[in-house]
Amino acid sequence: MNSPASAAPGVASSAIDGPAIELVGLRKTFRKGRDVTVAVNGLDLVVERGEVFGLLGPNGAGKTTTVEICEGLTAPDAGQVRVLGRQWRTGVDQEIRERIGVCLQETKFQEKATVREILGLFRAIFPGGRSIEEAIDLVSLGEKADSRTKGLSGGQRQRLAVATALLGRPELLFLDEPTTGLDPQSRRQLWDVVREYRAGGGTTVLTTHYMDEAQQLSDRVAIVDAGQVIALGTPAELIRSLGAEHFVEIEVDGFAGKIRPAELAALPAVEHCECEDARAVLTVDSVHTAVVAMERLLQERDVALLGLATRHATLEDVFVHLTGRHLREDGKS
Amino acid sequence: MNPRVIRAVAIAMFKEFWRTPEALFWTYGFPILMMIGLGLAFQPRVPPPVPIAVVIGEAGAPFVELLQNTKELEVLQLDAAAADRALVRGRVGLLVRGTKAAPDLRLDPVRVESQIAQLHIERALHRAAAGGPIAVATAIEDRPGARYIDFLVPGLIGLNLMGACMWGIGFNLVMMRTQNLLRRLFVTPIRRGDFLIGYIVGRGVLVVPEAFVLAAIGMIFWDVPFRGSVLAMLAVVIVSGLAFTGLGLLCASRATTYEGIAGLMQTCQLPMWMLGGALFSNESFTGLMRWAADLVPLTHITNALRDVMLEPGGFAEVGWTLLGLGGFAVVCFTLALRLFRWH
Repeated sequence: MNSPASAAPGVASSAIDGPAIELVGLRKTFRKGRDVTVAVNGLDLVVERGEVFGLLGPNGAGKTTTVEICEGLTAPDAGQVRVLGRQWRTGVDQEIRERIGVCLQETKFQEKATVREILGLFRAIFPGGRSIEEAIDLVSLGEKADSRTKGLSGGQRQRLAVATALLGRPELLFLDEPTTGLDPQSRRQLWDVVREYRAGGGTTVLTTHYMDEAQQLSDRVAIVDAGQVIALGTPAELIRSLGAEHFVEIEVDGFAGKIRPAELAALPAVEHCECEDARAVLTVDSVHTAVVAMERLLQERDVALLGLATRHATLEDVFVHLTGRHLREDGKS
Repeated sequence: MNPRVIRAVAIAMFKEFWRTPEALFWTYGFPILMMIGLGLAFQPRVPPPVPIAVVIGEAGAPFVELLQNTKELEVLQLDAAAADRALVRGRVGLLVRGTKAAPDLRLDPVRVESQIAQLHIERALHRAAAGGPIAVATAIEDRPGARYIDFLVPGLIGLNLMGACMWGIGFNLVMMRTQNLLRRLFVTPIRRGDFLIGYIVGRGVLVVPEAFVLAAIGMIFWDVPFRGSVLAMLAVVIVSGLAFTGLGLLCASRATTYEGIAGLMQTCQLPMWMLGGALFSNESFTGLMRWAADLVPLTHITNALRDVMLEPGGFAEVGWTLLGLGGFAVVCFTLALRLFRWH
């Protein structure tokens, strides 16, 4: 149990022990006419207190539905949901809502209201929490405090949305694709807000289809596809599960008859190789060892190296490895 | 012009519309149903007799008998005060005094029904005189409180209450729903009742003074009288505003498209425009029309407004109306609260 004395300064203390979120056998199906979409298909998940938990998956994977069930917006067809130790629709909805903060995928605030007025409205709704000025500082909107929301940029609007979510000093913060469509600077500013909230002891559930965002922010990540968790762990653990952490991509004047894929895969430090006519992607655990060996092989077989690039493995690679698809390649799964 | 682009835009817009059943119903289904309903209600038939008031003791018996034998006229024999009131409230088209030989008519020629009544009376007199000359004295009703403008101003205040409360409350709420703002509020600890009360107060606060501004304009520019209790008028405006707000809220409690809310509003407002007695009197309605006119809140609101503006009406005169409208508002709010959806 978290005692008030041990509670982090930025987050309201909780009298209930246990994980922030527990989902067991969650199912949700949407029907429209003859179309039946299984959005969540037997999903199990535990989000621990104090962590930033990333839900990563392509559009339509079931991330938003899962989060909306956790937020009490949608009722599941089956399965158990415990949020901060409580269950929705058991007479404690009000209490749960006082303890969570939500930033929806898209909210249009009243256009003629100022930032300060919007925050004033949300401040009045929560029984305790941050002051309006504190929230404005938290998301660095001081210069725009008296501007109408109509005049805010996309990033500023999104930071305002996050500020409304943080006003009640929530124990659990839901961020549903908070940086979609934002420029790199706005994204980094939002990341800083999340890190600061985490440093204060808060739990964050972050849904995103940006692998770098999940990797940068999350303590643990669940990769979701077709309504199920297909991988779970820290970003480093998930990447390590590929067997190697680096990729070497080469472009040559043609492999035909000169080098077989098996020969590339047998090079030192190479774990795996995917070859096309004039292109190969090697999964390696030591870049310099693999590159030296590969160059030697190319010279021996008289194959000209036209291009070489190396990069760290990412969560995207984990997703591709698990599903054979890219995170952004379709929107209907 | 690029025909390819125009075609692509047209197809995209049509498909969006076609795939929104709510929009489709209110655009096509509702007008068809309305046309069938109105077509049945207004079948060709003999027009009803035009009501006129004969002032007891001021019109000769032979003249009254002549008028009573004219099938196009409905003769109400009233004392002078009641006859005046009937004219003010549009119950009758004109007042008749005098004798058959020297008839004296009092009317406001702005009203079509007054002119029709005058023509029917003159025709009856012509028939009685066997084509001989007749002399009809006609006085234009221009006393403040008895003219059409006096009848109209309270009606316009009633219509404004209806429009401002129903559209202002209902339409904006649907807009907040489509923009996810209601959904965002739902995930906070806000209580449904707190939100709705705050919303109604915030949106409706300007409606009350507006009613008095309209009344003041009528008084300043057209000498429209204000003979009753200001407090009673305030009560009528507030309770009427609540009744229409409740109805607007009920319409908006579940609508998720602009077409849907517009259709529901029209369904509620059209009967009130036609039967509510705001622009023309519904006092002479009979049968089904009378029943329907009594059913719509606007009838009682415009009556109450005329009671407190054109007559020395107070709470005694409008008390039952206030109770009825209050009950109507409570029913609407209760239903709206139960049906209300955040998203």
